Amino acid sequence: MSNALITLLPSVVLEGLLLGCVYAMIALGYTMVYGVLGLINFAHAEVFMVGAVAGVEVYRYLGPLVDNPYVLALAAVIIAAGVSGALAMAIERLAYRPIRRHGSSNRLVPLITAIGVSFFLQDLVRLIEGLWHGEFYMNYPASDPMEYLHELPFGMTIQNKSILVMVVAVSMMVGLDRLVRRTRLGRAIRAVAQDLPTASLMGIDPDRVISRTFLIGGALGGVAGVLFGLLYSQINPFVGFVPGVKAFTAAVLGGIGNIHGAMLGGLVLGTLETLGGTYLFFLTDGAIGNEYKDVFAFVILVLLLLFRPQGLLGRAQGEKV
Amino acid sequence: MTPGWIIALIAAAGAGFGLALIAAPRSAWPLLGVFGALFACLSVRGWKPARFAIALALLLVVIPAAGVQNNFLFELVTQMGIFAAMALGLNIVVGMAGLLDLGYAAFFAVGAYTWAIFGSAQAAQFMSGDFPLAGWPYFYIFSALAVIAAALLGTLIGLPALRLRGDYLAIVTLGLGQVVRVLANNLDQPVNITNGPQGITPIERPPIGWLESLMGALGIDGGPALGYALFFYLLVLAVIGVVVLVNVRLDRSRFGRAWVAIREDEIAARAMGISPTRTKLQAFATGAAFSGVMGAIFSAKQLFVSPESFTLLQSITILAMVILGGMGSIRGAIIGAMAVTLLNIEVLKSFSDFLARLRQTGFVLDLGVVSFNFANLSDQVEPAKYERMIFGIILILMMIFRPSGLIPEARHRLEEGEQTEQMKATPAGKRRAP
Amino acid sequence: MMLEVQHLTKRFGGLVAVNDVSFGVEPGAIFSLIGPNGAGKTTLFNVLTGLYRPDAGEVLFKGRRLSHRLPEHIAARGVARTFQNIRLFGAMTVYENVLVGQHAHVRYNYLDAIFRTFRYYRAEKRARVRAHELLDYMELNDRAFELARNLPYGAQRRLEIARALALRPALLLLDEPAAGMNPKETDEIKRLIRRLRDDLQLTILLIEHHMKVVMEISDRVVVLDYGKKIAEGTPGDVRKAPAVIEAYLGKGALEGAA
Repeated sequence: MSNALITLLPSVVLEGLLLGCVYAMIALGYTMVYGVLGLINFAHAEVFMVGAVAGVEVYRYLGPLVDNPYVLALAAVIIAAGVSGALAMAIERLAYRPIRRHGSSNRLVPLITAIGVSFFLQDLVRLIEGLWHGEFYMNYPASDPMEYLHELPFGMTIQNKSILVMVVAVSMMVGLDRLVRRTRLGRAIRAVAQDLPTASLMGIDPDRVISRTFLIGGALGGVAGVLFGLLYSQINPFVGFVPGVKAFTAAVLGGIGNIHGAMLGGLVLGTLETLGGTYLFFLTDGAIGNEYKDVFAFVILVLLLLFRPQGLLGRAQGEKV
Repeated sequence: MTPGWIIALIAAAGAGFGLALIAAPRSAWPLLGVFGALFACLSVRGWKPARFAIALALLLVVIPAAGVQNNFLFELVTQMGIFAAMALGLNIVVGMAGLLDLGYAAFFAVGAYTWAIFGSAQAAQFMSGDFPLAGWPYFYIFSALAVIAAALLGTLIGLPALRLRGDYLAIVTLGLGQVVRVLANNLDQPVNITNGPQGITPIERPPIGWLESLMGALGIDGGPALGYALFFYLLVLAVIGVVVLVNVRLDRSRFGRAWVAIREDEIAARAMGISPTRTKLQAFATGAAFSGVMGAIFSAKQLFVSPESFTLLQSITILAMVILGGMGSIRGAIIGAMAVTLLNIEVLKSFSDFLARLRQTGFVLDLGVVSFNFANLSDQVEPAKYERMIFGIILILMMIFRPSGLIPEARHRLEEGEQTEQMKATPAGKRRAP
Repeated sequence: MMLEVQHLTKRFGGLVAVNDVSFGVEPGAIFSLIGPNGAGKTTLFNVLTGLYRPDAGEVLFKGRRLSHRLPEHIAARGVARTFQNIRLFGAMTVYENVLVGQHAHVRYNYLDAIFRTFRYYRAEKRARVRAHELLDYMELNDRAFELARNLPYGAQRRLEIARALALRPALLLLDEPAAGMNPKETDEIKRLIRRLRDDLQLTILLIEHHMKVVMEISDRVVVLDYGKKIAEGTPGDVRKAPAVIEAYLGKGALEGAA
């Protein structure tokens, strides 16, 4: 029995890292917006969902025209990034900016707006898909080359599509890191995140930077949506919620506002969750199993916020009196 | 117009619409008129006894008189009452104490399961005894236990969660709310406590012999279905009365003041000797208790509970009520609950039916430039199924255009009578050391 | 001693905001803390009232240890304060603000409030009468039922003091009460602080930048610079201390003046 658990370990970890890549990509969107606005952007889960749906549409319309599954997947990734990025920008422009302008003293106002946007988008996508195709449950079509299974050492196996997911996720994250560290826009984002009023005194237009931040975060979320679809195939307008909460957990785990933290947090959470889901089942003789894996992530979140709210890579901050 | 005239107008409108509703209990306009009069009683100022009397007449005479002819009225107002109690509870947490709780439906679930498990054969699955508990006192005892269970869960969730900053609290309560639902879904094994996703049914209702004989004496004959509709209507009305009274009294005590003080400025409140943890826990537990008692009533009324009644959508629905009415405003919470419930189970459904009729008849809308044949309207367009979109829109629009709600919290008018009396007590200019 | 501060130190990362500061405040004194901006005065207040934990040192209030206690406990023991950047409960009325100030003294439990027992009525009545007395004393009674956030600036400062007095403190900490006031209002604040001490037998610890106020009403003054105590004494002593002149006017100021 314990032998079986050990031989299983590498495959479980690999699967966890794969899931972690998706969480990390979503977590980046939460963490960047939190960095510049101090807002938990609940609607980011729906930005992710819209990316997944946009990917399905690409498959639906380009699928019959393009033979190469990799080209198709990349097309889906690029178009989903554009759609989700534009959506995130629109959300900021239409909902968050007006409430930032009238500057209500109640700090719940932006949060509640974000929840409203999140719910609105779920049904909006459902309505659009319903009108367009008559139903709102969607599938990423499977293709043989993508499903091809490579044998790896230690009994691990990996599919071609999983390799694709890892390659896309890692290159996007490296690209983001470059962007934030090396470019003018990246400097502006970091400046706004550190101190918005001072940054605007230095000639940075905060609205522009915030808008770009939503664009980048949203695009990453959209790509994550396609990767999620490639891995798990089934998509619907409500599919954003659970990965959304988990990705937020990942962002907190890494230290919210911290870009490297979000990447690390995503990978750690994905691995922990997959390990927990698999091993709790064995350890409790099947009494507690995979159905509790969502609970697992929430429990991690609660414990984390209580004992290390600054996360793995964050620094403790006191409130200024 | 002086308040006297306004109230006379409300009374006249109430009487007119009331009589119309009793005469035609199935038509929509008199019903909306009666609700309008109820809204007005809650929202205008001055002459409290008169407003109270009008509302009472509408609730205890007009609606029962119309309801015995049309059960649906009882159903509608009972739902409004259940939601109003929850909105009042959430209003304490979100509106007064300023803590965004997104897992509020969990407390409703705990209340509902408290009675569902023991008021059905379910309890026999894991303990010995004679279940369901069917005698008359059991339901009331377990409703009281539901209050306690919900308040305890509130404290239990609150203890860790309330130490967190505001925005983190939102996501943690959201998570814990989901945990409660996952537990309800999965606690059918190893020991079957909740019966999992199938839910629990049938659930006992308290015996209502007294009410049936009363109805018999009045010459009303509608069988047990009507009897229970009337019973739950009256029960919910009574409970809502208690909930409002408790809420108003707490609001005007050191506890209510501490809630608002913590919301306004936690650091200043601490400098005034207020313990934030204790104050927040009190708000959380009180809000949970309101929800718990309605959960127990809900389970008996529906005869059935399952985890699907306690989703995030449910929590957001109640949040939308509080936001629409006005955060921190007691009257706002009630009006918000009534309006959203009306929208949810009456307006949207009517609109769906209306569209369905247009679709069937192939009605052609001709605007000159464009014309549209409703026969081509997709059957996906069904407003009643798009609650999320509706609530989303309510939340967004309210936050952008009127964050304080339809009836904003008005603390400066709390002490209407006291102002003049106390001013006279100390003549101006004669200041002494307090 | 009403208040004893012993070797108090507070660090933020590498910055030592309060550095080994000691002093004692006699009952009934008006005791001022002065120093250039960033000298650590407000940080010291925050340590005294429990908002920050000291890294070293002790605070004794009436001989009992105050450091490492929660702000709400310190307040309930009789240490009240105002804030440099006024922190009122904006959505509550002026009157309610003062009622909140009495929180620790309004004693009844949850059930008393729900059933409105005799205990509730007695305590609330007492609190309400006292609230009106305090508002009267601070000349705010005609605005009692306005929202605190709608008051003009000067009245907000007075309300903050009224709210602090509601706590029935033995020691009152005032953080720049005259900030942003014109000369006439400054004069009124000066008289008010004296009146508070004389009428209510309060001990007052004051942070203030208006030197005129400090010099005219203080019994004793402590000067902080870069978190360190650089002088202590009567206003006359402090005015003449070389270290103080240097801190305020910069090095070389003494030579230039001489």
